[in-house]
Amino acid sequence: MGVTSLKAIGIIAALSATALSTTAYAAASCGTDPVVLNSYFETGFPLPTKLSEEFTKQFPNVTFNIKEDQFKNLMENSPRVLAGDNAPDLIRLPSISDLVIDGLLKNLDGYFTELGWDKFPASQLVQLRVNESGRPRGEGPLYAMGLNYSLTGVFYNKSLAEKVGMTTPPATLAELDALMEKAKAAGIVPIQEWNAPNAGLAFPLQNLMGSYGDPGPINDWIFQKPDATIDTPTNLKAMQHLEAWIKAGYFPDDVNAIDYATNMSRFIGGTGLFMFNGDWESGNLDKQMAGNVGFFLMPPETAGGKHAAMSAPLTYGIGAKAKNADCAAFFLNWVATNESARRINVDVGGSNPGGPPDLPIPAVAPGSVTEATLTQGNVLAGENGAMDFIANATGAIFAEGWTPQLQLLVGGRTDAATALTAVQAEYVKELSR
Amino acid sequence: MGHAGATEVKGVTAGGFAARSIIVGLMFVTVLPFITMFSAALAPSGTYPSGLQWPADPQWGNFFEAFKSASMDRLLFSSTTIVICVVPVAVLIGTMAGFGLARLAPRGSGFVYLLFVIGLTLPIEVVIIPLYYEVQWLGLLNTKFAIILPLIALFMPFSIYWMRAHFVNVPQEMSEAAEIDGAGPWQQFWLVQVPLARPAILSLAILQFLWTWNSFLLPMVLVETPLERTMAGALGAFQGQWGTNIPLLCAGSLIILAPSVILFVVFQKQFVAALLQGAVKG
Amino acid sequence: MTSFLPGSRRQDLRPRSSDRGRSPFVAWAFIAPALLIYSVFVLIPIGITVYYSLLRWNGIGAMQFKGLSNYLTVLTDPELLVTIGNAFQLVAYFTILPVGIGLGVAQVIRNHLSGRFGTTARTVLFIPQVIPLVAAGIAWSWMLASNGVVNQLLELVGLGGVTRGWLGDFDFALPAVGIIGAWVLLGLCTMLLVTGIAKIDPSLYEAAKLDGATGWHEFIWITLPGLRQEIGVCVTLTVIAALASFDIVYIATGGGPGQATTVPGLEIYRLAFAHRQVGLASALAVVLMILVVICILPIQWAMREPRK
Repeated sequence: MGVTSLKAIGIIAALSATALSTTAYAAASCGTDPVVLNSYFETGFPLPTKLSEEFTKQFPNVTFNIKEDQFKNLMENSPRVLAGDNAPDLIRLPSISDLVIDGLLKNLDGYFTELGWDKFPASQLVQLRVNESGRPRGEGPLYAMGLNYSLTGVFYNKSLAEKVGMTTPPATLAELDALMEKAKAAGIVPIQEWNAPNAGLAFPLQNLMGSYGDPGPINDWIFQKPDATIDTPTNLKAMQHLEAWIKAGYFPDDVNAIDYATNMSRFIGGTGLFMFNGDWESGNLDKQMAGNVGFFLMPPETAGGKHAAMSAPLTYGIGAKAKNADCAAFFLNWVATNESARRINVDVGGSNPGGPPDLPIPAVAPGSVTEATLTQGNVLAGENGAMDFIANATGAIFAEGWTPQLQLLVGGRTDAATALTAVQAEYVKELSR
Repeated sequence: MGHAGATEVKGVTAGGFAARSIIVGLMFVTVLPFITMFSAALAPSGTYPSGLQWPADPQWGNFFEAFKSASMDRLLFSSTTIVICVVPVAVLIGTMAGFGLARLAPRGSGFVYLLFVIGLTLPIEVVIIPLYYEVQWLGLLNTKFAIILPLIALFMPFSIYWMRAHFVNVPQEMSEAAEIDGAGPWQQFWLVQVPLARPAILSLAILQFLWTWNSFLLPMVLVETPLERTMAGALGAFQGQWGTNIPLLCAGSLIILAPSVILFVVFQKQFVAALLQGAVKG
Repeated sequence: MTSFLPGSRRQDLRPRSSDRGRSPFVAWAFIAPALLIYSVFVLIPIGITVYYSLLRWNGIGAMQFKGLSNYLTVLTDPELLVTIGNAFQLVAYFTILPVGIGLGVAQVIRNHLSGRFGTTARTVLFIPQVIPLVAAGIAWSWMLASNGVVNQLLELVGLGGVTRGWLGDFDFALPAVGIIGAWVLLGLCTMLLVTGIAKIDPSLYEAAKLDGATGWHEFIWITLPGLRQEIGVCVTLTVIAALASFDIVYIATGGGPGQATTVPGLEIYRLAFAHRQVGLASALAVVLMILVVICILPIQWAMREPRK
């Protein structure tokens, strides 16, 4: 276990990784022998499991060994799990930069041409590219694929919306505020959200950032471009607006103790006029709140302004030490191109399945919230307003930066300016390690 | 002891009643968490029951579902295997070493004893990091041996302290008599000392069983597959996977802690004696 | 009487005339297996932890020697100091509550724990010691939730205004974790002290009564000194449990909200395995080890009884 032997292993690993990446991948397929894909998914999201079941139906020699964990544990465990001997073939990855630096993820460039991913719109895959040194993101080899491409915005409870007189979605931030005030006066919880163990308030915050400013600088910060900062005047305005909502009591009193599942359960149960969330819940909401739920993109600050929202791939990667990498890549390709897979993607998930633009998006029930989110997704793409999630900037920025600061903000222990500066400081600290 | 001491309490019944009510109160606080878990386990799966309430439609099926989802049968098998591998070995070599240090006491053994005793206050977090890399280097990561070997080692300080304290208090005459009969140390050990030490050994085995069954951090770090861990280690993974489904999580937790509690209630006399003596050996 | 740690071991290592002159080889053969496995899986790792603490290493790549700078970070980084502070706060709950309540209970019930009632009580009060700490964490997480039993009870007694999600509250998360630990350790301490007090000579109490001593005097002058050993053991066990806590915190709060319940044990695990800062984690581990020793030694020293 000496230093030299570990260094040697590190050098050999790096060399073989580069060697492999330039070799043409002979045949990325799952073959005919029995294969077990070692998979690490996120609890509470049935989509990948449903997809795996369909895949096994179509390719009976392939089975999945699925381990699920909650988001926080997933983030914490992925470095260790990927470095271990049982590295997953498929792993849900909220954040990839740190893992790339340590050489834990498989470089997927080889599959890029072989499987025809160069036909997918480049903008789909840009968030999945990372420079080999780990930064910046947005350029360099491909290290992950998206199971689908999600969109975030505002879900609303239609019957509660009627009660406050909302006939059409608000067109400006001011209109949104007015609706929330009316809800509060009527005894309705204006915003249903979660803030534990991770800060769900990052969703409304990023939506506000998109209302006030351009997505470009925010993406630069998330991609770790040199000299990027999140502490900008427009972002400060967004943070202050969020603080105003907190002070006005628009969030539930115990939001710091509400977790994601509890949050969904409450909104579905009828608590909360608005919920800032993503279209991965569209399928679920269409089932449980049929006809009673709607969606709109976060309105801009001024009427007619451009929209910007978090729209990110549902990132899945393949471990660098994975034993069945070819089969895993084949699976990822199948998800994007196979008709049944795309159908499941839209029905269960609700997000855009991506893939080559000539493949049709499966039809959805008119009037469903899935239809709304898919349509709004096109609007966003047209305005080039897609941003990655601010929580994905580094491996730990969510747990060590956004979550503590937003929890403190809810508790009245800090103010908008201090919180934003603290997050930037944490970001700089992590990049320097 | 019991009745003699009661005379100074004014009015035996009144004092006795007050005393018993306090104890009953403490017992209530002790079992309350289990009662609430039980009531939550009977609520419909996926819901968020409020506090303590007997559900209108008790879902006994939750227990079956939890048993299946967590593959409890495999878990039981895995934990039992680990216990069988750890406890006999640890008890044996701990007793041998305790005997060696107490009765045979070669030169330098004082120092060795001190080395063991240092481990009594050692937080496991201090060694978990190198243990991970060491076990990985040995190629044992994610196997049961990743848990078995370190646990045996970690049990040594207490086992040796415990058994040595016992052997030290055995009267000289016993071993002298055996020696006169021509018994060597090994025979002395097996034929004389070990049978004498049976209560101490039993207590030690019980304690080690508990510590093995309930170990959490070690299995969690060194064994990735939840089904190869101990029950407690798997409970952590269970919470990760099903933590958002409260009734299922409560049902699963109750099943996981049932074996220890059942064993405890059956052998409660030995357990209590072991736990109490384990703390105050004097 | 020996104390928990063999500080007074000189009494015990009486050389035995019949064993002297015996081949040390045989003796070491008895000790060797234990010593071997202990060295490989405990002693050497301790040494390696100290070695790692001098490095900057992410677990996979190259190691960089950094001398004592990791220790400097541990002693000056406010985030890490907070974890140490949290551990000491937990000591207040894990130690003072069980020992305090245990003492009170022992004094009151001194000799009423016999027969079937006593056995049942003993069994029930010990259950928290038998279950995995993780299970205790899960049970209490549920009880402390916004719609859990604790809030239900508070509303029953009219304190509905105080209810909240306890484990998500910046002020109350750590005390809540403390309560969980106190619950786990309460039965053990109570039983230890009750058993110990039964060993105190009742004639001492009778004599005190004749001299007109109050219950309080009895407590200070008879019970406390008589329970010195047991109290020492309770305090030792609970302090170690608090400083080295991991299981309960991990399951109940995961260290949050923010850093409110992050304890050194949890931070070491995070730093090493999630943030891949093995050097810093190891330095924190060494500091934790030293802290535990510093806290335990005075207790052990205070437990020594001058024996006649």
